[in-house]
Amino acid sequence: MNKPKARLPQAQNTGIYKKDTIRDVAESLGITSLSDAVASSLASDVEYRIHQVIEEAARFMRHARRTSMTTSDIDLALRVLNIEPLYGHSSHNPHIFRRALPFPQLPAAGPVYFVEDEEIDFDRVLREDKITLPRGVSYTAHWLAVEGVQPLIPENPPAIPRDDAQDPTKALAAGNVPLSPGRASANAKKQQQQQQLVKQVLSRELQLYYTRLTSSLLPPTSADHAKRTAALASLRNDAGLQALLPYLIRWIGEGVVGALKEGGQSENDGRVLEVLMDVISAIMDNTTLFVEPYLHQILPPILSTLLHSSLPPTHSTHLRTSASQSLSRLLTQHSTTYPSLSPRIMKTLLLALIGEGKSVGTREGAIRGLIGVGKEAVRKGLVEGGGAKVIGNECTASSWGMEPLVEAAMHAFVILQPPSDMPESADAELLTSLREALGNFFAEKLAGDRGWAVGVLTGTST
Amino acid sequence: MSEASPTAEVSSPEEAASSNSAPQDPVQNASTTDRMVLEYLRARGHNSAERALMEVLENVDSDDKEKHTETPTVSTDELVRSLAVYAQKPSRPGENVLKDSTSVLQELTTMGNPTNIQNLIASIGAVGAEEILALDPTDKQDGFTELEAWVDGSLDMYKPEFRPILFPIFCHFYLDLIQSGFREAALKFFSTFSLSLAAAHTATLHHLSTLLLPSHAQNDDLAQRFRNEKYAVRMSRSGFSLLVGWLTEGVGGEAAGAGEGFSGERGKRGRAAVMRVVNNHLRFDVSASNTTSVSPNAWEESTGLLSSLIPQTPGATASLTNPQAFNSSQGGLKLGPSPISEELRAEAEYKLREQATVETDPGAQYDASNIRPSVPGIVAPTETDLPPLPPTFKSIDVAREVQKVRDARKRIRLEPSALTNGDIDSPQNATLRARALPSVCAYTLHDAGEGAPCTTFSPDTSLMAAGFAESYIRIWSLKGEKLRGLRSDFQASSIQNSSSIQRIREKGGTSTRKLIGHSGPVYSLSFDPLSGSAGPPKYLLSASADATTRLWSLDTMTNVVAYRGHQNPVWDVQWSPLGVYFATGSRDRTARLWSTDRTSCLRVYAGHLNDVDCVKFHPNSLYLATGSSDWTARLWDVQKGSCVRVFIGHQGSLSSLAISPDGRYLASAGEDLAINLWDLGSGRRIKKMTGHTASIYSLAFSEESSMLVSGSADWTVRCWDVKSAGGMANKARENGLFGGEQSDHHETSDLVTTFPTKRTPITNVQFTPRNLCLVAGVYQAPDPR
Repeated sequence: MNKPKARLPQAQNTGIYKKDTIRDVAESLGITSLSDAVASSLASDVEYRIHQVIEEAARFMRHARRTSMTTSDIDLALRVLNIEPLYGHSSHNPHIFRRALPFPQLPAAGPVYFVEDEEIDFDRVLREDKITLPRGVSYTAHWLAVEGVQPLIPENPPAIPRDDAQDPTKALAAGNVPLSPGRASANAKKQQQQQQLVKQVLSRELQLYYTRLTSSLLPPTSADHAKRTAALASLRNDAGLQALLPYLIRWIGEGVVGALKEGGQSENDGRVLEVLMDVISAIMDNTTLFVEPYLHQILPPILSTLLHSSLPPTHSTHLRTSASQSLSRLLTQHSTTYPSLSPRIMKTLLLALIGEGKSVGTREGAIRGLIGVGKEAVRKGLVEGGGAKVIGNECTASSWGMEPLVEAAMHAFVILQPPSDMPESADAELLTSLREALGNFFAEKLAGDRGWAVGVLTGTST
Repeated sequence: MSEASPTAEVSSPEEAASSNSAPQDPVQNASTTDRMVLEYLRARGHNSAERALMEVLENVDSDDKEKHTETPTVSTDELVRSLAVYAQKPSRPGENVLKDSTSVLQELTTMGNPTNIQNLIASIGAVGAEEILALDPTDKQDGFTELEAWVDGSLDMYKPEFRPILFPIFCHFYLDLIQSGFREAALKFFSTFSLSLAAAHTATLHHLSTLLLPSHAQNDDLAQRFRNEKYAVRMSRSGFSLLVGWLTEGVGGEAAGAGEGFSGERGKRGRAAVMRVVNNHLRFDVSASNTTSVSPNAWEESTGLLSSLIPQTPGATASLTNPQAFNSSQGGLKLGPSPISEELRAEAEYKLREQATVETDPGAQYDASNIRPSVPGIVAPTETDLPPLPPTFKSIDVAREVQKVRDARKRIRLEPSALTNGDIDSPQNATLRARALPSVCAYTLHDAGEGAPCTTFSPDTSLMAAGFAESYIRIWSLKGEKLRGLRSDFQASSIQNSSSIQRIREKGGTSTRKLIGHSGPVYSLSFDPLSGSAGPPKYLLSASADATTRLWSLDTMTNVVAYRGHQNPVWDVQWSPLGVYFATGSRDRTARLWSTDRTSCLRVYAGHLNDVDCVKFHPNSLYLATGSSDWTARLWDVQKGSCVRVFIGHQGSLSSLAISPDGRYLASAGEDLAINLWDLGSGRRIKKMTGHTASIYSLAFSEESSMLVSGSADWTVRCWDVKSAGGMANKARENGLFGGEQSDHHETSDLVTTFPTKRTPITNVQFTPRNLCLVAGVYQAPDPR
């Protein structure tokens, strides 16, 4: 009986005591001819006896007010069952079972575990290890509650904010509070609220999430398209990511800078920027995220993408459009709380539109940005600020590569005032004012439609 | 067995089983074996088989007997029935194919291998054919599959009623398989069906799964209880008739696509196997009440292997099968406060009056009703009811009584019921909250090595004691005073008065002492209550795994007596509220009563089927409550030694008990993580409180009995409102918010508040006489691995 007991942890794990083990034991005792039936029923019996011992030991564990069984429980159980105790096992140094290398010649044997018997060099122990006596048992007293309120002292676990006033019974929650053994899960909403209240420490789960998220988004190979979509969807819909927001925004900013710094001409950079724009729009889609404090960090990437002089040609239109859409969304959401936000963006865009020596791409971006900001901004930029004149002049100066710019400008005019269904030519007076406001280039383009031209000029349709 | 489908007249199996009525006329001329078979069939309810056999006996009596001389115990009909399964042809699956025995014999001969059948008949021998068939492992599997399908296919209103049947039938099938040696089949059966059974049965199921050999099933306690006792199941009348209908005719609850399993031969055999268990091992409490009106608590109390848990009253002929019936048969209890002798009372009053004049405090009058309030409807015991006590009182008794009055006046009143109306978090209710909830002082032990199974505080809170797994006890003075024992080297003649005793105290000393004497983990400690809160206790009792209970003198700081008697580890010890006596509970399934001046026990309270895990005296010391690993708590008459109440309802071993100071309620905590509140007078369960997520180690009532505090291995202390109705909180509002998180919210609404600790399982909670709550536990350092 002795040897099978020594392998107790293994038997517990598998739940079935193998008859091969019985045979091994028998062989070690010199019994070679053990019939199969005997081995099998012996194995059953040994398993039953082990369970008996464990059940008995569990009682000792419960009465010792512990939740994990120790070797002393087994010892006491063996004692009351009138079985000779196992010697040499103590709970002070729990055994660590190591797995032996598999036998290549005998694959059916399965994994073999053994207790490592460490050799201790007495000389070394006597020379080096100073044995420190443990401090004796001591007690500390503290107030767990004073008139029903738990004082906020280091001895007590950190307070848990009550999630709602009506529910006094639900006190335990997750977060930084050490989870009690039986309670594992915590809900995300509670956690989110709590994280705004307590000092922010990024939990391991969130860190893992962050790594997984960023690695599935970038680099944007076409293969993991599904993964990227899933990541974006998660970002768009999942709650509880508030703590990640600063990290994500910084990641976006660095990504945009990196992509643009390298000249921003390669296909790959274009794709990177596209993904990053998608991430920004996903973040803004997520209603549980609170973006406002990070506006000053999120704007530069958007504006850089929008106004950068040379985006990869295949992606430039799409990139600038999505950047302007994000900008527009951002302004509609936050311009009420930040009144100075839209004037500042307007200023940047106007500068890009009419400033000296800006590239075509920048000007195009500026127009698209203005479209994003709104009708009034377009009028202010193109008509009143003379943006159209500047562009027109540039277009007449060099005719090559101006198509996107012209297209964007015409789109802006359409936004201002849709062209009339039955165009009639403008009269001379209107043509003069058109030339005055928009310059020759665009005056000619609009001259064919009187209603459109008037609408563009005055903001009212005739 | 094909004919073993009884008609609907077997409306009540227990009647059929018990009716060994007088033999009828045709039986008289039959042989003894035939009569036995006939009776057996009647007992099992196989009416048609019985009828058929009687026909056979009348008609083919003599000639058939000659044919089967080599197997005299098996009658023709038995044989026919037993072989029917093998003879059945798929082309003729009808019901009545084997109605008459002649066709069967034809059938047998057409099969063309009479030698095989002869061999079979020979092998059947004296065992009986039905037995052979009953051993067939497959019918268990089939029967259970069908039973489960039937239960699942039944109407929703009946499901809660039918579900509990699955468990006992499962257990019996498994044991049948094990007992007949079909180990593989049993394991397969277990793995197939055990997962679908209710989670409450996991412990029992695990135990059963360890039984693998016939000898195990024969020797195991639990298996024997399943075998020898009737498993009580509660059922409504309509539900029961549905069950009988299914068992006999196989009607109702057919799951879609069940196929021929239901109408076919195998289906019938499976049902017959189910019926065998139902007839032999189940007892139905058929109640007239509607299914839906029965609370889940009532289900818990009335299902299970109850008969042996309920003590049998000597002299009573009919055994009681219902805990309520037993409890009411035991008559009323005297639950009032214990009486106080006139002299002591007069002396205490005098002392109080004296103090009142000194302190010019007119309120300090002795007010008997203040201390021992009499609740209407509760009988208070007289002095003659009490166990014998010293005839005269001492000054310590007076001091205790005086202190009781003072404590009562200075007590913090806790009224948790005030919290139930309204929002307790609003600022204006902060005062309300303060009035309702206790202050809790936590004592945390550090560096406790292998752990401290028990901690306790003295009634005057001057001392704390902890028993350790390393077999020693440590005492701390909570006031920081030096604990000095008496020296042993003194001249007895030199002791004249108290001051000379002071002179022989040890010099020096520290505020903590280690008491060494036990040779096993110390599981329970108790300070003597004699001096009450008026002064430090003089004695300490300890119970240990070394099967002894030891009395320690706190004057000398030494072991005075070792009480031996239990043969097994002693789990719990408690002083009687009046001192002198104490009770212990042990692994040997008994609780015992001792007095300090005798080394042998005075009473043995035997009756629990398993370890007595905890003991608690009633405040008037007339009764002793015990909690056991057989999932029940009992209340014993201390002097008579008889059981007067049994409390059935826990779904696990009991871990802690508390009796309210007003003497009316018993609170019990079990390994099912529930706290049950019982009314001692009626023995009924008042409510079940859940919320803890790990074992509950300790319970305590506040002095007004209005609040219950529990300490648990989940590192929390929780406060419960005793008076509120309880029940599951209404979570409708949160359903919308956090759908799918319901499993987390299993707290009943009477949980007033929870105080989490930092990794400290609470092993002891206690109220001081002034309603300050003291808790203690061992800090668990986070696992370094």
